Amino acid sequence: MPLLELRAVTKEYPLGKTIVRALRGLDLSVDAGEVVAIMGPSGSGKSTLMHILGALDRPSGGAARLDGNDLSSLKERELARLRGRRVGFIFQTFNLIPTLNARQNVELPMIFQGVRSGERAARAKGLLARVGLADRVRHKPNELSGGERQRVAIARALANDPEIILADEPTGNLDSETGGTILQLLQELSRADGKTVILVTHDPDAAAIAGRIVRLRDGCIREEVKNA
Amino acid sequence: MLRDFFLLAAQSIAHRRLRSWLTVIGVFIGITAVVALISIGLGLERTINEQVAKVFGVDTFMLVPEGAFGPRGARKETFEVDLGIVGRVPGVRTVAAVRQETGFVVGPPRPGGNRVQGFLPVMGLSPELVTDFEAFLGEIELRPGGRFFEPSDVDAAILGAGIAARLGAGLGDAIQVEEREFTVVGVIAEAEAETAAQRGGGFQGGLGPDADTVYVPFDTMYALYGPADDVLVSLVRTVAGADVDDVADRVEEVLREAGSKVDSVTYSDVSDAIGTVTSTVSAFLAGIAGISLLVGGVGVMNTMFTSVLERTKEIGVMKAVGARNGHILAIFLIESGLMGLVGGVVGTLLGLGVSAVASRFVARFFNVDLAVVASPSLIAITLVGSFALGAVAGLWPARRAAKLPVVDALRYE
Repeated sequence: MPLLELRAVTKEYPLGKTIVRALRGLDLSVDAGEVVAIMGPSGSGKSTLMHILGALDRPSGGAARLDGNDLSSLKERELARLRGRRVGFIFQTFNLIPTLNARQNVELPMIFQGVRSGERAARAKGLLARVGLADRVRHKPNELSGGERQRVAIARALANDPEIILADEPTGNLDSETGGTILQLLQELSRADGKTVILVTHDPDAAAIAGRIVRLRDGCIREEVKNA
Repeated sequence: MLRDFFLLAAQSIAHRRLRSWLTVIGVFIGITAVVALISIGLGLERTINEQVAKVFGVDTFMLVPEGAFGPRGARKETFEVDLGIVGRVPGVRTVAAVRQETGFVVGPPRPGGNRVQGFLPVMGLSPELVTDFEAFLGEIELRPGGRFFEPSDVDAAILGAGIAARLGAGLGDAIQVEEREFTVVGVIAEAEAETAAQRGGGFQGGLGPDADTVYVPFDTMYALYGPADDVLVSLVRTVAGADVDDVADRVEEVLREAGSKVDSVTYSDVSDAIGTVTSTVSAFLAGIAGISLLVGGVGVMNTMFTSVLERTKEIGVMKAVGARNGHILAIFLIESGLMGLVGGVVGTLLGLGVSAVASRFVARFFNVDLAVVASPSLIAITLVGSFALGAVAGLWPARRAAKLPVVDALRYE
């Protein structure tokens, strides 16, 4: 059974007086341990697809399953628990909490899962060391460079040891060298830890680390290619 | 988890320091006013109760005309009482009373043989008023050589300073009251009337030494006027260990059976009455101060709405990493509650400070020691209340934050 499975998924939402049809009957399966890149022009439905894959949103029609759980039938608090335990998010603009330092940012997802403070701190320090920020533990986001912030965000995504990492343009705000480091980290997560990584990206370099590239246009999959 | 939410909220407050302080100022002004007014009210009640206890004594009760101690007042200002009956009631140790008539008074012969005469207030005082109820009359200062009544006195008189001068009477002179001869055993010192009036307060009210009154022993009033409906007040002290309220009820009953229409007023009656008045006044003033609390609450609400708007994306991120709606609600409620609590702490300290300053002011300008009451329950209620005020004011913004759809919140710029 695939880890993530979408069957004839549609997503519509109102925008002013019009209805936007962001996804128009989309089928997609992602197996555990895969690295999949989702590409496509603006407005093709990439972000909407990522929201549904990450249990941030429910489809309007069709079925979306995460490890067999039908997202449409889950209650809001069950979706929150699913996100907290099984999915880690990495955003283009990092989205760290500015009032918290690096370690506290990494601890945040663990707080919501009720992890005890001693264990939280130890895990957060370990994760920050893993992304190369052992000496930046007490720094607040505004004291870190873009690359460092994204590494904190990766550590945060790994906080509850989820199976799925969803990265939305993770290199979009970084220079190519820093972006390369981040991509290496993501690749390592798949290879060393067996995480399922889904990248939403415009960047061909980013897509290059994926085993499969899914191209969207107008809310439908136009092309699905395997990377060599 | 709750501890972590407190830390998250505190960090957020600290991050927006200026705005948070401005909000807290809005809260603590109201709390200061409420705490100061309640504290002053409690201080006033305690001070009055102490004064009453000092003058009245917790083992003492008063007999007054029926209905005199109540909201409507008495139809009559005087009553009749047989002190002998009262004295025989079990539990009574001492009894004293004051009665007043207008009597025909004739002064001693002047050089030339003529005498000054006229109708004057004649007041009968029990000797026990000085021996057992000294605080009731206050300290009576007599001219040198004079003395107060003793139980054995029958035809002894004490004169007010003014009337002594007008009658031309001094110590040892003989005067007549209702054609009965009295020897002057004391003359009240001139300044006494004035200082007694200044001392004011308590239950001296009008019964203190008066410059134009002739005082005679209480029992002698029977010889002059017989038993009459002219007693102003009677004081009863109970034996040690007796239940004052029980004794008062028994005395009241016995006197009613004997035909005297009296009410007994015990320390607890007076204390309750004072408590009712001061609590009503305090509640009224605190209610007015509460309006400023309401304004403070609106300030907290406004700050929290701004905070929710500013942190929409942050809320989205927290939800994306696993926060449930309840978690977001709790974080924002704690944040607004903490602002209320800080306002409460500062306001309580300032309020107690204001009440201490008010007490000094009263002591200096009115010569009354007003107690400063920092009751632990007042402080506890204020602190819990101020946290609750903040939390309630933050409820609406916090609910809005909690219900934000995660995707919309993440997209918010």
